[in-house]
Amino acid sequence: MTDMIKKLNKLFSSVRLTIFLFFSLAVTSILGTIIQQGLPIERYKALYSPGVFSVLKFFNIFDMYHSWWFTTLLVLLSINIIICTSRQIPRITKLIFPAKKEIDDTVFGSSQIRKTFQSQKKLSDLEQQSEILVKALVGNPVKVKTTGTCYYFFAEKGKYSRLGMIFVHISILLILAGGLIGNILGFNGQMNIVEGNRSGTVILFGGEGTEKLGFDVRCDDFSVEFYETGMPKEYKTDLTIIDGEKKAASATIRVNHPFFYKGLKFCQATYGIAGVSDFRVIAKDNRTGDETVLKLNMMKKVPLPGSNSSFAIARFVTDHGGNGPAVLGVLIEPGKAHDIFWILKNDRTVSQQQKGGFTFMLKDLSRLYYTGIQVSKDPGVPLVWAGFSLIMIGFMLSLFFAHKRIWLRISGSQDKYEISIAASFSKNRETFEEKLEELTGNLQ
Amino acid sequence: MNDTFLISIVTFTYFFAAFAFLISIIFHKKSVDKWALIITVAGLMLQTTAIIMRWVHSYKLGIGHAPLSNFYESLVFFSWSIIFVYLIIRKRYQNSLVGILSAFFAFLILAYASLSGNVNCTIQPLIPALQSNWLISHVISSFLAYACFAIAFGTSILYLFKIKAKVNIVNLLPDATFLDEVTYKMISIGFVLLTLGIITGAAWADRAWGRYWGWDPKETWSLITWFIYGAFLHARLARGWKGIKMSLVSIIGFIAVIFTYLGVNYILSGLHSYL
Repeated sequence: MTDMIKKLNKLFSSVRLTIFLFFSLAVTSILGTIIQQGLPIERYKALYSPGVFSVLKFFNIFDMYHSWWFTTLLVLLSINIIICTSRQIPRITKLIFPAKKEIDDTVFGSSQIRKTFQSQKKLSDLEQQSEILVKALVGNPVKVKTTGTCYYFFAEKGKYSRLGMIFVHISILLILAGGLIGNILGFNGQMNIVEGNRSGTVILFGGEGTEKLGFDVRCDDFSVEFYETGMPKEYKTDLTIIDGEKKAASATIRVNHPFFYKGLKFCQATYGIAGVSDFRVIAKDNRTGDETVLKLNMMKKVPLPGSNSSFAIARFVTDHGGNGPAVLGVLIEPGKAHDIFWILKNDRTVSQQQKGGFTFMLKDLSRLYYTGIQVSKDPGVPLVWAGFSLIMIGFMLSLFFAHKRIWLRISGSQDKYEISIAASFSKNRETFEEKLEELTGNLQ
Repeated sequence: MNDTFLISIVTFTYFFAAFAFLISIIFHKKSVDKWALIITVAGLMLQTTAIIMRWVHSYKLGIGHAPLSNFYESLVFFSWSIIFVYLIIRKRYQNSLVGILSAFFAFLILAYASLSGNVNCTIQPLIPALQSNWLISHVISSFLAYACFAIAFGTSILYLFKIKAKVNIVNLLPDATFLDEVTYKMISIGFVLLTLGIITGAAWADRAWGRYWGWDPKETWSLITWFIYGAFLHARLARGWKGIKMSLVSIIGFIAVIFTYLGVNYILSGLHSYL
């Protein structure tokens, strides 16, 4: 039993496992970018043969990033990080808060970088120059004089940079924990609301049913602006939250500018045309040249000025054969059969219809839009942000700072002093050693 | 004079810079290296001017935005980033070879941007999803990361060449350990920038699409890239891998970068389809 635990401990404390997991996650993640994720299950059934389908279904390839095996890989990675990092903590703590404050002679024999040489200079010169050397290499030294003529100099800088790697690894755990919480307690879906209407139900993504909000969202107004190219420039929704039949809040949301209410986030996602509320058609009397703007609603006839005829709109299409919006006009003249014709808004050839002594042009139409609001709840977000901040702090600590330490000892007696130097440097050791060589020249 | 014309001048400037660096290596002439540097700096200044001109021009058109929003603009910024990173690391890795790599990559990218028929160089208005303050920080950190990885890719290829090729030319190349060191340093800086790029992207996605992570192909591929370079750093720092194995991982990593940048848009579909 203890043998088993030992083996597991060994496995999970190995960086080999980390490298293996990184490569496994990288390779398997490719699958989900090739096979489209989260489509309705019928689509996959149509795409693959029954055999292939059942294999893919077993491995949950259609939602692979939430599958049992992908989650297992992430859990293994988390355990790996926890074990490795907790093993590092005692070592790092020792480096940052060393137990012994006084200088220990063993460093002069055990440090990665060490150097010993003799000098015949005066002690006062040596002291002064040692101080300069330590200062140039690391920083202001602590000077300790002990028994006899033994002098010690010690300087240290950037010890907190050792925390960098610990922070980075803890932050990965925070991000994974945040993701997990979001997956369990959060939801993500969309509600499409026609202008003037209200709704309290979110249709969840991935065919996971619906979610009742417990309050209503009303779309008071929706508007969209276009560039000259026809590309949408900006779209926004004025919405009101009706909670307990009272107006609880109102806001305008645009793409990139969400609104928050009761821990839920409302993002402007899409829009569409639900219908048309009214039309403006110009009727030009061909005899007099008078133009009248008719304000029309669907299937309501209005009299044409200066005649016995009247006009109505029977149908509206947003796109008539690729030529843009069009209405089906009906000219009603007494004693004649109804004349029915299309009026296109953009097409020159049929935008001006000559009928019954009038020229009809579709001037304008007020579309009735629906707004697509993405509603999401994710209680894991604060943890993820904390992880993101911590990972950058960790990287900065280990990228821009290095832990540098130097010990210098002057021993011996007049005319024959021995100088021992020991140093440790967490980064750029070669540059440091070169600099040390150069500076010790003065002391010799 | 418009910015695209300036960019075509910059393209040739980088070509000459690469050529000058090459001469400096072949004939062991330090003085030529100085000239190559001057040409490179001139190229970068010209390119920066072109980018600013395009920025100003977009405001004159009434669709003002930073020129970081379509494929052409991203290619121009990618090449700018490579030269920028080169000039920063030059002091520490003073070797004309890193100069050749950077100038040549920058030249290739610009040549593709200017000459390929697939790249539309007109200034286009921004769709609502791109109108965000996150655009600049997201694009800058991502492309600086790509630039670091591109240089690491170059030194990795040369490392393999130096170790494996049995031709005299390899004597012109710097030490294998130098190439290995540049690869490692570029990847460690690139990794931090890539992380920043993913984080700024996540923060942006959270506001624009309602979630910070959605396994969209572009997001997933950036994570795949992150895993590969993460594995590289762990192998190097904790396991002491060096040499050929590391070069291979670096090359695989850069293939993932290219796929994140281009493959996702041309082969897969997703929310990032505009770039």
